[in-house]
Amino acid sequence: MPSQFTEPGQGTSNSYTIDHDAGNSRIFSLDVIRGIALLGILLISIWEFGGFSINQQTGIRISTKANNHSLLVSMLFLFEGKMRALFSLVFGAGMMLYMNKPNRLMLPSTQELYIRRQMWLMAFGLINAIILLWPGDILFQYGVMGILLFPFFRMSKKGLLIAAIFCTLIYCGKLFWNYADDKTSHKKFKAVTLVEERIKKDSATRHNKDSISGMTKAELKKSDSLAKKRDTLTKEQQKDKGAWEGLVKNIKYDSTKVKDSTENKAMHAGYAKMWNHLLERSQWKEALWLYRIGFWDIGSMMLLGMALFGFGFFNADFSKTKYILFAVIGILAGLSLAWFRLHYGNAKLIDYEKYISGHALPPNQFFPIERLLMAMGYAGLIMLLLRLKILQWLWQALASVGRMAFTNYLMQTIICTLFFYGYAFGYFGRLSLPQLYFFVAEIWLVQTVFSVGWLRYYEYGPVEWLWRWLIYGKRFPNNKKTG
Amino acid sequence: METYTATNNPHPVEQAERIKTVDMIRGFALLGILLMNIMGFGINWDMWSNVLNGPHNTKDFFTFATIETFFDGTMRGLFSMLFGAGMILFTLNKHEVPGGPSVTEYYYRRLLWLVLFGMFNAFILLWFGDILYFYGLCGMVLYVFRKTSPKWLLVLGLVCMSVTMLKQQLQWNETREKRKAYVEAVKAEKEKKILTDEQVAARTEWQEIEKRTKPDTTFTNRNLRKMRSSYTTVYQYWLPMNVEGEVWGLYHQWFWDGLTMMFFGMALFSLGFFSNRLRTSTYVMCLLIGYGIGIPIGWFAFKEGLLVMVTDYSHYVDNFRMNHQLLYDFRRGLLSLGHASLLLLIFRSRLVPWLMKALSNVGQMAFTNYLIQSIICTWFFYGYGFGYYNKFAFHQLYYFVFCVWIVQLIYSSIWLHYFRFGPFEWLWRSLTYWKRQPMKR
Repeated sequence: MPSQFTEPGQGTSNSYTIDHDAGNSRIFSLDVIRGIALLGILLISIWEFGGFSINQQTGIRISTKANNHSLLVSMLFLFEGKMRALFSLVFGAGMMLYMNKPNRLMLPSTQELYIRRQMWLMAFGLINAIILLWPGDILFQYGVMGILLFPFFRMSKKGLLIAAIFCTLIYCGKLFWNYADDKTSHKKFKAVTLVEERIKKDSATRHNKDSISGMTKAELKKSDSLAKKRDTLTKEQQKDKGAWEGLVKNIKYDSTKVKDSTENKAMHAGYAKMWNHLLERSQWKEALWLYRIGFWDIGSMMLLGMALFGFGFFNADFSKTKYILFAVIGILAGLSLAWFRLHYGNAKLIDYEKYISGHALPPNQFFPIERLLMAMGYAGLIMLLLRLKILQWLWQALASVGRMAFTNYLMQTIICTLFFYGYAFGYFGRLSLPQLYFFVAEIWLVQTVFSVGWLRYYEYGPVEWLWRWLIYGKRFPNNKKTG
Repeated sequence: METYTATNNPHPVEQAERIKTVDMIRGFALLGILLMNIMGFGINWDMWSNVLNGPHNTKDFFTFATIETFFDGTMRGLFSMLFGAGMILFTLNKHEVPGGPSVTEYYYRRLLWLVLFGMFNAFILLWFGDILYFYGLCGMVLYVFRKTSPKWLLVLGLVCMSVTMLKQQLQWNETREKRKAYVEAVKAEKEKKILTDEQVAARTEWQEIEKRTKPDTTFTNRNLRKMRSSYTTVYQYWLPMNVEGEVWGLYHQWFWDGLTMMFFGMALFSLGFFSNRLRTSTYVMCLLIGYGIGIPIGWFAFKEGLLVMVTDYSHYVDNFRMNHQLLYDFRRGLLSLGHASLLLLIFRSRLVPWLMKALSNVGQMAFTNYLIQSIICTWFFYGYGFGYYNKFAFHQLYYFVFCVWIVQLIYSSIWLHYFRFGPFEWLWRSLTYWKRQPMKR
């Protein structure tokens, strides 16, 4: 019953007019899921916005008695990585939907519009990261991935599914590879410690021998210093030692540094200083992260979204039982994988050396599968709830949020940077976890109300409207047609 | 607006549709690229300082000065220009079929394969100077500009060029700041003041920087040892550096480097420059302007820039507000224009038609020839092949380059006598169209 899920008044009626050509191809369920994912993303990204440091997270994670332990752990269980996965899923589905639009006279072809759309997305992402100073931006990466995966839209749904699974497995492989690097680093460290022990023992026995043989103190000193020179670690060995020690130091909880003062200081500076401080982080995310992780992270879920779109998942083409199965299996399997990840993750956080000598796999080895399952589970659950026709007002509101996802995403950046960063209100690092979530709830409320209100009068969200203007190279009226 | 003609499937460009001069210039650029790349393939990194710090009347120095002045970056520049031109040729020459994959799709498929071929070239053939990867990604950006007017393409090229210049200058300013801090720290030390922590840090930082500009024997020896080793060693040796290049090289440099010249190339192509459509006097003018401005800048950048930089880095940083590389794109753009004009004028004069024909054969299978350069050179120089890495004097490398040129000119002509495409072109096309392409003539 696909018709139920397309919004009323958005049918094929105005297919002749060029100014509404995107509006008639919306799928209600996609908007809802996008809205939920968009709001959900903030649950995790608020940590980075608000200065809830990794060290703090570690401290709370490893001690069950810590304040907010259960709050943090449930966030990790339920949302870490899953909301973005859901967002990628919808992004992939949305791409297929966009491609289905027929070409129109006097306008560039759909495919050309699509490419332009992605390129402007990249541009907006750069602005979001480098001007609005949000290093966690993902628009740029989505823009790039949308272009790289463009040639796949004609692939069969089965092929897309296989490609998605393939990418997920590669992603798992990459995580294993990273762990193997750590392992090598640890092995080298071990070798150096052995050398160090030997040196210590040697110099002690030599000292003993020398003093027995009746050297004077001056001679002893000289002999010791000679031995020391010969017996210090080489540069390479020192580097190996330092590499592993640095790694462990980064992971280990440091109770003396509950509030990272250097980071806090930098985040309370003026705009120019903060720009300098954050630039490298943004570039890292845009270049290295995308190359190593992002490509697989976003790509796998996008491909899955494209496949599911092909199978009719978002059109409610599946039976109710199937959606139930999706929801139950996805969420349960995902949660159990999450349990393993967090359980072993804690072991890693408490003592990485012990962990790495005793375990063949990293704690996050199956994270790509976990979030894939959870995202599918959530999507299934949402589809099911939509079918049950309960809480209609809520879904309508969330669909509004999803229809203005671009606007809302940028708005989250603007609100959060102004609230937390030093050049405006400067609450960075000053809120506790529950306070952060109170703030998140506040933003959710504001965004939902704003989206519903805006779409009552306008066809598109403000940024969406600007986006279309840029894509088409001409301005469309944004007022809602009445009647 | 789409034009629909039902008869023609999108298909590889046929012989008759090819523009001979475009292929010819591409062939020229392709061969020329080896002039620069050979330094990466065949000789150890201390070559630079050895040649430049040595006496100035040697063959090595003379060769190096010539290459730097006339060719540095210009052949890649020309190649990028023709890549831009090729994009227009590919997208505008084809007809759409309703229902089937569109030209847009074929274009992006083609580039995605190019990116993969680039990774193959870098990670498997172990040529760390690969450009195919970057070309593939730059090309994905170009597409939306295929109908932009030459004027705006020129503006776009200039914008990309300014980005490079700006990055260049900002980095240079930073280096100069570091140097200044060092000089102050040293001065304070001489006055027997107690240095602050910052001054100590500034001192060591600069010392580190300066050290890096001098050849480090452990470093270069290690490079030599690795390059003469087995495939797995070279593979592992280059793995992190290849990644570094594809990530940070792309982000900070190659993306802009490529786009600048591609936009210029598209503009020139739209104006009819590469297709031999302009008047002879125009080409003569381009030649005069290109060489007239490009060569002096090139010579100056070498003599007062690179040479000073390699021989005395601190002096160089103290004395120049701008890095000699600042005008890099400007210079090589002009020189590329000069090279292309010269070649077109020779073509028009019909002095050496056989050579021009041979060059256009090389250009017609440029992709194959590019990969074959990787294959020949890695096998000749790297340890798992013949292991001639660093065994030639610098100028002798160019005898080798000359041999490769001859070989490529000959086999390209022979191959194209029997086949329609170069072997890698055939593979690339078959992958793009996802269908085995006919190969024989």
